[in-house]
Amino acid sequence: MDLGTVLSVILLAPLVAAGLIWIFARQRAVLAMTLSLGAAGVILLCSLWLFYGKWDGTAFETSMEWLALGSLRLDVGFLLNDLSALMLFVVAFVGFWIHLFSVGYMNDDNARGRFFGGLSIFMFSMLGIVLADNLFMMFIFWELVGFSSYMLIGHYLTDEAAQASKKAFIVNRVGDFGFLIGIIITYWTFGTVNLTELREVVEANPSAVSTMMGLLLFCGVVGKSAQMPLHVWLPDAMAGPTPISALIHAATMVAAGVYFLGRSFFLFTEDALVVVAWVGVVTAVCAAIWAFGQRDIKKILAYSTLSQLGYMVAGFGLGSLYGLHHHGDAHTALYYGIGASMFHLTTHAFFKALLFLGSGSVIHACHHEQDIFKMGGLWKKMPITTVTFAIGVIAIAGIPWLAAGFYSKDSILYVAKVTNAPAFYLLAGTALLTAMYMGRLFVIAFMGAPKSEEAEHAHESPWTIYLPLIVLAVFSIGIFYENLLLFPSTLKELMGNWVPKPHGAEHTLMLVISGVASLVGLGLAFFVYGAGAKTDKVEQKLPPVYAMSKSLFYFDEIYGYYVKKVQDRLADIVGFLDTLLISGLMVRGAAAIAGLLGIAARRMHTGSVATYVWWFFVGLVLFGAYAGGFLDGIIR
Amino acid sequence: MMTHFPIAILGGLGDALASVGQNNPVLNALLLLLSIGVPLILAISLAVSGSLPDKFVKGVAAAGFLIPGLISLWLAGVYMNAFPFGGYAFEVIADLGLLERLGIQLHLGLNGISLPFFVMAGLVGMAAGFYAIQSGVERLRLYLILLLVMQAGLMGVFSSIDVLFFYFFHEFALIPTFIMIALWGRAGRKAVAIEVTIYLTFGAMITLAGLIALYLYSGVEQFSMIALKEAIITDCNQGTIFGLLLIGFGVLVSLFPFHTWAPRAYATAPAPAAMLHAGVLKKFGLYGLIQLAYPILPHGVEQWAPLLLWLALGNLLLIGFVTIAQRDLKLMLGNASVMHMGYAFLGLYAYSTIGIGAAIMMLFAHGLSVALLFLLADVVEKRGGTADLQDLGGMGTKAPVLMGLFTAAMLASIGLPGFANFWGELGIFVSLYASETPWVLYLALLGIVISAIYGLRAVACVFFGEASEEITGGDIKASEKWPALLLLISLFIIGIWPKLVSDPVNQSVNQTFADKVPSISVTVGEPSSSE
Repeated sequence: MDLGTVLSVILLAPLVAAGLIWIFARQRAVLAMTLSLGAAGVILLCSLWLFYGKWDGTAFETSMEWLALGSLRLDVGFLLNDLSALMLFVVAFVGFWIHLFSVGYMNDDNARGRFFGGLSIFMFSMLGIVLADNLFMMFIFWELVGFSSYMLIGHYLTDEAAQASKKAFIVNRVGDFGFLIGIIITYWTFGTVNLTELREVVEANPSAVSTMMGLLLFCGVVGKSAQMPLHVWLPDAMAGPTPISALIHAATMVAAGVYFLGRSFFLFTEDALVVVAWVGVVTAVCAAIWAFGQRDIKKILAYSTLSQLGYMVAGFGLGSLYGLHHHGDAHTALYYGIGASMFHLTTHAFFKALLFLGSGSVIHACHHEQDIFKMGGLWKKMPITTVTFAIGVIAIAGIPWLAAGFYSKDSILYVAKVTNAPAFYLLAGTALLTAMYMGRLFVIAFMGAPKSEEAEHAHESPWTIYLPLIVLAVFSIGIFYENLLLFPSTLKELMGNWVPKPHGAEHTLMLVISGVASLVGLGLAFFVYGAGAKTDKVEQKLPPVYAMSKSLFYFDEIYGYYVKKVQDRLADIVGFLDTLLISGLMVRGAAAIAGLLGIAARRMHTGSVATYVWWFFVGLVLFGAYAGGFLDGIIR
Repeated sequence: MMTHFPIAILGGLGDALASVGQNNPVLNALLLLLSIGVPLILAISLAVSGSLPDKFVKGVAAAGFLIPGLISLWLAGVYMNAFPFGGYAFEVIADLGLLERLGIQLHLGLNGISLPFFVMAGLVGMAAGFYAIQSGVERLRLYLILLLVMQAGLMGVFSSIDVLFFYFFHEFALIPTFIMIALWGRAGRKAVAIEVTIYLTFGAMITLAGLIALYLYSGVEQFSMIALKEAIITDCNQGTIFGLLLIGFGVLVSLFPFHTWAPRAYATAPAPAAMLHAGVLKKFGLYGLIQLAYPILPHGVEQWAPLLLWLALGNLLLIGFVTIAQRDLKLMLGNASVMHMGYAFLGLYAYSTIGIGAAIMMLFAHGLSVALLFLLADVVEKRGGTADLQDLGGMGTKAPVLMGLFTAAMLASIGLPGFANFWGELGIFVSLYASETPWVLYLALLGIVISAIYGLRAVACVFFGEASEEITGGDIKASEKWPALLLLISLFIIGIWPKLVSDPVNQSVNQTFADKVPSISVTVGEPSSSE
């Protein structure tokens, strides 16, 4: 098999599985699970085959024409390079383990056919984004992941799910509005949207890239990766089943925006990069603050995801600026942005998937109780879940050497320190907040004594649930990232060479900063909240601080006001005017004439419609006779 | 090189179709005639024969919808493989004696522009026909006769080369619509039937005036689309004639502000009539503009372009907001259908081979998807006992298959990739930025947000939440499911492999417009148009 075929198999396996589930397995849960898990297995095996031998690490591209209209030509094709290979690895690997987890987690659901079909559709769409070799194809799969996300958020069919799924899709469409404009402007500016050709054209003529173009493309990222101000859909998306939150709304889909930035890095001017960086920084800080106001275990993780996505976006912007200013080689300067953001994307995919699946294990054991203040004492009941969750907390907190997050966050903090001091202080502060809210979650939910009936009777989950936890926990341990021990050599290029790393005294300084932020954060959490606390201490002692965190800075209220008071009202007014002016005035005028005609018609006919039909047919027959010799007249 | 996937995959079938196409012109021309003749003859036979068993009537009607549908697919296969140059194929000219002296002939044939519309008529006809046959309405026989007459007219509209017959077939298909609204419509049908009849007759008369003016000023002896393309008409006359055609065709296709008939007519009409009218017959107007007005009257196009732009934006944005405000599912679909015509008009406004080709693709997809939605909305209304979105709810757990189909149809119609509608919309958006007014793209793209708002709201209202009442009749029945699947799968196939439609369209549009529309070229490094 050539590379193109392998990639086609990877892309199409989940689509075929989804099709088969839709036709044969809507009511057969076991068959649906088998097909979906099988497809995920095929993806993982084929990817591993690629990375351990089949693919030599040089960029590979293949494409064919998909549509041609006038001068518009649209291709479908694959571009496999070090960036897409890393993303493929993340999606295939994390995806497989989450599929396995779902088998255990969804065992009491009565619409598993729909769930697993949706999961496979998602894998198909996500892999399409990863492999796409041009911007239009990327946009197509971009919309398709939005659809899968919509479908899976809405899985439980409750009113809450209805609102959340609708919101996710519409907010993403708002982002896509700018995204598609950006792509079309790119197309008409450079005459191509193929990533390889675009890069050549841009490098030959860098002045043709405008800041506007990059910012419009960035709109898509703001929607998909839930950056401010379009972040509001992601916390609501937690209404979906927990494996979906882990796979789509933490590890892969929401990171697609960051991946897209890496894919199209050459389309961003320096001004655009500054904006990108600041959007990321602001998102990271605000989301970390909001996480303190949440009681729902999944909501806390959702705000943490927002915050970490902010880190990645900031990492792209600041890393690229770092490359531009401090490593003069024009050709590779921007690689540092990709390195910084993609490294954090990778470690985050592992530890955040781990944390979400851990929360899923807890929720499963506590009979769908999600309030951390009603848990407590889980470490005795669920040792494996507790240990793996603790590894996840350490990973995200960024304790030096122990945490995967230490290595990736460190490089982002470093480029921030070199390029932009205010951004650095904010991001370092966020690191402390991150350790603290994750510590809060852990000490309240896992330590102390059980605080509810459900927590009292919790017990360890089956192997389909804890095996993925163990695997992901291994990938969240920092020491493996020192030499990238667990990764195939084809993936080490990007994570090894292009991740900015401090040296010498800088290195020591960064180490101290990370160490202090993570340990102080965790320590504060323990002392402020206390193991197994029944109530939120900050809420009691410092109500204004808690209220500020819980307010989410009123984004939802503002959007809600806009929808109710502006959009819906405008729709009603336009609808009313349509009825009054156009339908009323114009057509009522015509109706007067209609009345007159009606009187005339009544004189001529009996008023029965059936009679009218008969007259109609008489006319037809007469016409047919007149046209006689119908078939003789074929000339050509 | 051209590849004809998936036909190429099926081995020699493509070559076989090609040789059939080239070696049997008479057979294929005869089939084209039969696609009109069979439903018409079956309708007449059903009308004149005495009492027949119900089963027999249904069987005859089924044949009347199946045969033109299959013929349309067959001819599409032959055309794509045997006629790669975008010209007319399968031409038939019937001798009509007297009329011939006036330059009027029954002249049939298909080119790449008419082919998608012809296939759409065949597909939607099959779906609407089968849905109607099993609908169990009162006076089923008359119902089916009228639909068969409509079907015959529809096949005729899009296969006529002669302009008079093109118009005549349209009227032929239109009249049964009025009768069906008046007899089988839901509450308020009489008033709606009268309004629609008057409104559309008015539009048709303006169109006829425009067509006659075109004929008189063309100086061509034949009233045929092929001959008229050679016509040379002075700029001043072009403006007048184009204006008549734009308004006349515009009324028929619900161009803003001549749209108010459409939502009420579709909401009131029985589902099969709404499917055939909203899906197929309505496209007559835009088809006429593309096939006749735009190639023959380029100066008229220029003169009217600024007005057309604002009217098209009216369709898209104003009616988009009107759609958001709707409370009734069928009225919402009717308004959405009006809104989507705005995209097609914008494609024409862009006046490039991209824009016009994409408009045709969009119309093809819209025809299938709107028919599908009216079918499914009818099922929803039957199950829930109402089409009021406030009173519906919670159907998802009880009718999961219906939910799947409806959601897919709705997402297709709001332009989700993977379904045919996306390609047309995308092409139109791309073409707009290369038009004289690139800023239109920004306004037009608001449509994708607007349509997501109303589309998903409908899905959420009908299927999510607590069930307000028991649904009657359970999940969607097989007799309702198969017509829906026919349309949905067609949309999906084109969504995955758009070349099946875009290749013939592209060839014909290039052939027709290449020397007329301004050419677009991109100089790398310089934005082709101002920002």
